[in-house]
Formats: sequence, C-alpha cells, structure tokens
Amino acid sequence: MPDFDKLDKVIHEKGRLSIMTLLATRPAWSFQDLKAELNMSDGNLITHLRTLHKFGLVALTKEIRERPQTSYALTGKGRLAFKEYLRVLEQIVKAGRK
Amino acid sequence: MDERKRAEEHLRVIRTLMERATIYRAISAPTALVGSILALALSATVWVREHHWAANAPAVMRHISARRFASLWLGALAIVIGVNTFFVWRQAQRDGRPFISPSLKLALRSILPCLVFPAAVTIWFFCDGYEFDNELLLVRIWIAFYGLSLIATQHFAPRSLVLLGWGFLLTGAGMTVATRQLEYYATPLVPNLAMGFSFGLYHLVYAMCVWNSPVRPGSE
Repeated sequence: MPDFDKLDKVIHEKGRLSIMTLLATRPAWSFQDLKAELNMSDGNLITHLRTLHKFGLVALTKEIRERPQTSYALTGKGRLAFKEYLRVLEQIVKAGRK
Repeated sequence: MDERKRAEEHLRVIRTLMERATIYRAISAPTALVGSILALALSATVWVREHHWAANAPAVMRHISARRFASLWLGALAIVIGVNTFFVWRQAQRDGRPFISPSLKLALRSILPCLVFPAAVTIWFFCDGYEFDNELLLVRIWIAFYGLSLIATQHFAPRSLVLLGWGFLLTGAGMTVATRQLEYYATPLVPNLAMGFSFGLYHLVYAMCVWNSPVRPGSE
C-alpha cells in the first residue's frame, strides 16, 4: 500500500502542480508565458510561485531588457521532488487498480 | 474524492500540460488538406492552360510568364497561411488558450530562420531571376527550405510532421541532383508539376494519415 504521506504537500495542489509540470518541460519560463499557458491571474500565479520558491523548488532570474522580465526554472531539488511526486502518484494509481 | 481518483486526476493534468507545452503541430490536418487541394487544383489549371495554348499557339514557347507563375503560387501560399491562422485561432479558442501561445512563439522562432533565404530568392526572382526562366531554381528552393522549416520543429512537433519535412527536403535535393534532366523539359511544366506533386500530394497523404490521430509524444 503506498504511503500517502510521501506525497509532497507543496506540489500536491493543482495550481502549483501545473506550474511544476510546465517548468519541467523547458529550461526556463517567463512569468508572462506561464500566465498565458495556465490562464491564471497575476495574483494567483505569483502566490504559488512564491510558495514554490520559499521551499527551494523554483529559482527565479530577473533580467532587464526593454523592460524587466522574471523567468522561472526548476532547481535541482525541485526536479527531484517532482520526479518523486510522480513516482508516488503512479504507485497510488497502480495500488488502486489491484 | 478518494486519493486514487485524485492521483489519477493529477496525472491527467500533468499529461495534458506536458503535451500542450512540448508538442505543437504547426500545420493541422485541415490546413494540410486545404493546402493540398489548392496546390493540386492550381497545378492542374496551369498544366491544362499551358497545353491548351501549346495546341492553339505552338509558336509561342510559354504562355504563363515566370512572374505570373510565381505570383499564382505565392497567392496560394497566402490563402493557406490565412486558413492555418484561422484553424490555430479556432483551436486556441476551444482550448481557452491565448492565440499567441508560448508554443506558437516557439514554433515561429524555429521556423522563421529557415524562411529567410527562400524569401530572399523570391525577391531576387521577381527583380531579376524571372528573365532567365528560373522557376526550376525557385521551386527547388521553396520545396527544400519548406522541408527544412518543418524539420526545425522536430523538438516539439509530432513525428509525422518531421517526416513530411524530410519528404520535401529530399525532393528538393533530388531535383537539384537531376537539374540537367529536368531543365530539358519546357518550363514552367516541370516546376509546376513539382509544386503540385510535393505541396499537393505530400500534404494530401499527410492530412489523411493524421486526420483522426491524437497527438502523442513520439507517435504517428
């Protein structure tokens, strides 16, 4: 029987999970691109990103080109946590089918 | 909702987002179908007109000028771009996503560099190149670089689109190798056939193959 407590509670929320998933697909995402892809409000997105950053799962880079732009990427810890989260999630689904 | 159902729901979210972010079909099956029908119709029209006039006025070497030939195909391209834009916009509306999505921007960033050279050759053709009936060269460049632009999307496009790109690239390369043999025939018949064969038939086969197939990583 899988241990539900092993699920990372920070990632186990639909909004943050969506952010982590997108960050896992490319080296970096700008705030605007994340917002467009996830169809989230600025406030909602920034709150989730702050939470992920606080737990060391996401790193942010601020660049000033024509205008300030913040891009986000998974940290090494974030990538490992996401993989582990997926592994536990698959275990739960498999256990439920038996 | 119990934990298993929640886990399944989360896995669905992950899968959908991963596919949306990493797989992008720059040319949809309906666009390919419209493009193929248009290319076949245009190619057939040019062919019939040339034969009609060859029978009625055999003293004249050609009846559709080089510039007119290129203009007709550029007109067809403009229509197909318009149709593709409409389909991409409609799909974005259905999915509740912005039209200028990150995936679209990524696709454009990959494709546009491959189109700079053919654009330059087309401008040259309209300015000077038409004087020497250079349609065969123009058509080779269009076909080969169109193939390259599709191959440039290989990191996020379904495999079928990349295969289509290889078909065009190899056709362009083959036409270059066989330049001497192809130039033997009257222009614009060979360039016209090449356009109809590649943009018409290849897109038709592609549209039929992918019409009902869902986009899956590494599939098709």
